[in-house]
Amino acid sequence: MNGKTFVITSGKGGVGKTTTTANVGTALAMLGNQVVLIDADIGLRNLDLVLGLEKRIVYDLVDLVEGRCQARQALIRDKRVDGLFLLPASQTKDKESVNEEQMRAVTLALAREFDVILIDCPAGIEHGFRNAVAGADEAVVVTTPEVSAIRDADRILGMLGGRRARLIINRVRLEMVRTGDMLSVDDVADILGREVIGVVPDDEEIIDTTNRGEPVVLDPTRRLARVYTAIARRLLGEQTPLPNLEDDGIWNRLRRLIGSRT
Amino acid sequence: MKEIETPNDAALARLQEPVAGAPPPAAKTAYGRAIVVTSGKGGVGKTTTTANLGTALADAGKRVAVVDADVGLRNLDVVLGLENRVNKHLLDVIEKQCTMEEALVRDRVRRTLYLLPAAQNREKDEVPEEAMCGIIRALQAQFDFVLIDCPAGIEQGFRNAVAGAQEAIVVTTPEVSAVRDADRVIGLLPPNVPAKLIVNRVRPALVRKNTMMSVDDVNNILRLELIGVVPDEKEIIIATNRGTPVIDIEGSETGAAFRRIARRLLGETIEIPAFQERQGLFSRFMSTLGIARP
Repeated sequence: MNGKTFVITSGKGGVGKTTTTANVGTALAMLGNQVVLIDADIGLRNLDLVLGLEKRIVYDLVDLVEGRCQARQALIRDKRVDGLFLLPASQTKDKESVNEEQMRAVTLALAREFDVILIDCPAGIEHGFRNAVAGADEAVVVTTPEVSAIRDADRILGMLGGRRARLIINRVRLEMVRTGDMLSVDDVADILGREVIGVVPDDEEIIDTTNRGEPVVLDPTRRLARVYTAIARRLLGEQTPLPNLEDDGIWNRLRRLIGSRT
Repeated sequence: MKEIETPNDAALARLQEPVAGAPPPAAKTAYGRAIVVTSGKGGVGKTTTTANLGTALADAGKRVAVVDADVGLRNLDVVLGLENRVNKHLLDVIEKQCTMEEALVRDRVRRTLYLLPAAQNREKDEVPEEAMCGIIRALQAQFDFVLIDCPAGIEQGFRNAVAGAQEAIVVTTPEVSAVRDADRVIGLLPPNVPAKLIVNRVRPALVRKNTMMSVDDVNNILRLELIGVVPDEKEIIIATNRGTPVIDIEGSETGAAFRRIARRLLGETIEIPAFQERQGLFSRFMSTLGIARP
């Protein structure tokens, strides 16, 4: 097998890299792919929490790199979804304990056995960022429609060494775009000049699912499940249209009609 | 992207003198307080906190320097609306390319508030920790408060931001990942740097529905002195995009919360209020009917 490796990055922290990695990764597995999610945020890991796998960590990325375990020992299989695995980060080491060469070796080895590898990049542009990017074929840059996040995304796009990079615009609030209080998707895409493969509405259900360690895509009735599944398809090259966020049920249409704030 | 809202603002902006050559604040005898604002996890509100506390402290008549320690990914200038006035930066001062006075950017409204910007095209590894200590020390000689906006993560940028600080404010949100990262960061602070906690982006409605951790839940884990609770509001996004501090937005609960935190920093005792969710017409209507929102 010759799997494809993507780094999920952003520059700015807290824009949704880990949530995106967990949900797009889970969606890819639900679509029948063999998927590994790598938490590259050594020292501040969180992907395990978002996936609800934190209690099952025995070995981690640093153990694997330093030869203390085999890949199959470090990989945690998600029991809810066939074909989904997590390679957790070490919580007690620091990012300098792994180098770019080692990351390339790990991803290359995994790419021989899996279809897709998603690397959850730490915030910032230091050593941890360079490690996370080292083994990736392509990048997915997550941003929000906020000036500071866009500025950091722009900075990161210049540091990807010529890799193909596509955008996910996260936490869009349509009602704020409509009132002119938030930049629109088109505005953001124009500034950054890259293809947009996903637009994710700001939805408070993500807080709940993150706290409970259950990626929202596991529940196909949720609006965000549709959104992340579409991103997963587009990531692998399918030309599915972006889901229409306006069409989000009678509830919101009613609410808009009455003109209430939320 | 940024607009000038009123003719008044426009006039004011035109009247302000350029940054270079801004007069340095008068020399002080006592050293000011150097406080690092940190979190571990990114995007929890460090920069917003730094900008708003700095602004509120300046309103209270204090001389305040806010330092952007996020070399390479600076944003404090944007949040303060000063990005067009940045000329020199922190590394220029360290490398003696300019004086401190040349690098400091004076706020256009609060005349006792100054920004020391970060370099955008440099790396955090280029800042030696001792040099950072020297910079903070020099600022403490001139200002009552030196607030240091720490980058996300726990790498060199974090170590630099903490190096010169005597106190810390840890910002977190009521989410498991943010609390876990805050816990990690508290463990990495030097033992002689006492830390206080701000719980940011609390949504009382979600806490009531039991889908969000409460402030008590958070602080039962972190066990720090709680200096403030900041409710989540969309005003903060508007304020950030415009480059105005949210404390200037009338009626903003978020702004009021930051003002109270500034007063607590100055030693006042002010209770932390229980926040009420502003209810929309529709949700109020539905709750009257006894139907919960989906």
